[in-house]
Amino acid sequence: MNMTAFLTIPSIAVLLDFIRGPLVWLSFIIFGLGLIVQTFRLLNLTQKKETRRLAPGKEFVPQATLSKRECFFRRLAFLKITIIGQNACMVMFSFLFHVCLVITPIFLLGHNVLLDTSFGFSFISFSEKTSDTLTLIVLMSGLVFLLRRLLLPRVRILTTVYDFILLFVAIAPFLTGYLAHHHIFNYNIMIILHILSGELMLVMIPFSKFFHMVFFFISRFMIISEHSMGAPKRSWQF
Amino acid sequence: MGKTPEINTDSIKSILKQNRKQIKLGLAMCAHCSLCAESCFLFVSKDNDPEYMPSYKFINSIGRLYKKKGKVSKQALEEMRDLVFEKCVLCTRCYCPFGIDIPSLITLGRSVCRTHGLFREYDR
Repeated sequence: MNMTAFLTIPSIAVLLDFIRGPLVWLSFIIFGLGLIVQTFRLLNLTQKKETRRLAPGKEFVPQATLSKRECFFRRLAFLKITIIGQNACMVMFSFLFHVCLVITPIFLLGHNVLLDTSFGFSFISFSEKTSDTLTLIVLMSGLVFLLRRLLLPRVRILTTVYDFILLFVAIAPFLTGYLAHHHIFNYNIMIILHILSGELMLVMIPFSKFFHMVFFFISRFMIISEHSMGAPKRSWQF
Repeated sequence: MGKTPEINTDSIKSILKQNRKQIKLGLAMCAHCSLCAESCFLFVSKDNDPEYMPSYKFINSIGRLYKKKGKVSKQALEEMRDLVFEKCVLCTRCYCPFGIDIPSLITLGRSVCRTHGLFREYDR
């Protein structure tokens, strides 16, 4: 029996309808509620803290200001001691990976057509070629992370099976989506795997290491620390 | 390696219990990215030996104790002493892109070692 015939068996067709319908809703609800609950749980670990800022005294006389050129070079010199200077390649791939991971599914034409037919609204869409490129960037960055995990001693020493599972879960929707779009292998199977892997990822985000998508912003923008950004006013209360 | 009578699991457990939320969050959020490596001057000066990585040090000291619920052998605790006392000077310069407070987690590892009379050995 070939795959297409297999998928038209009534009981299988019911299962597929379930995956395409209620399961999508369920995973979005778990994703949304999970994200809200987990974010509040994380915020509960923080408390408001009085911030003291040092202001220069009246006798302070500002030094001669630097020229724009000097400023630029000083900033460049500072970058060298940050992770951007130390691990430029990894930071670049990591940045591209995360940006493409978030924007590609939102502005994908196919997803927006589905949104439009279901709810009558849609976001603006990238052209198919752009989406293809962004997907390939995600896949390529994923490959870089995988090779890094396998080959670099410093990453290998930390790596557990869970890290590979997470990487796989993050990459799977993009890989299956790409294969389905280009009709590589069986389209029906690929699109079902695409939906399932997307749902799995959505459900896992609030309850796994993927939650760093919220933790990052809370810990770097809301918590007072040497490396915090913005003007945070809270601290951890463990 | 079984549990030896020299280990007082209760004292370890009380430290773990007091700091459960912090340890749990640190372990749950560490993405094992290894970007903290270069922020450790010991890592750089020891020819990039991965055992000097800040994340490795906290995961294999307090993290390991947390996962095993304090049930470790004396030998394992001595290995942790090497990590938190010999391979870390607690200069607090380690940098985590996510903002995990690695020094305070290593400090907890040191606290556990101290309860069992394990310190930095200056005459080694």
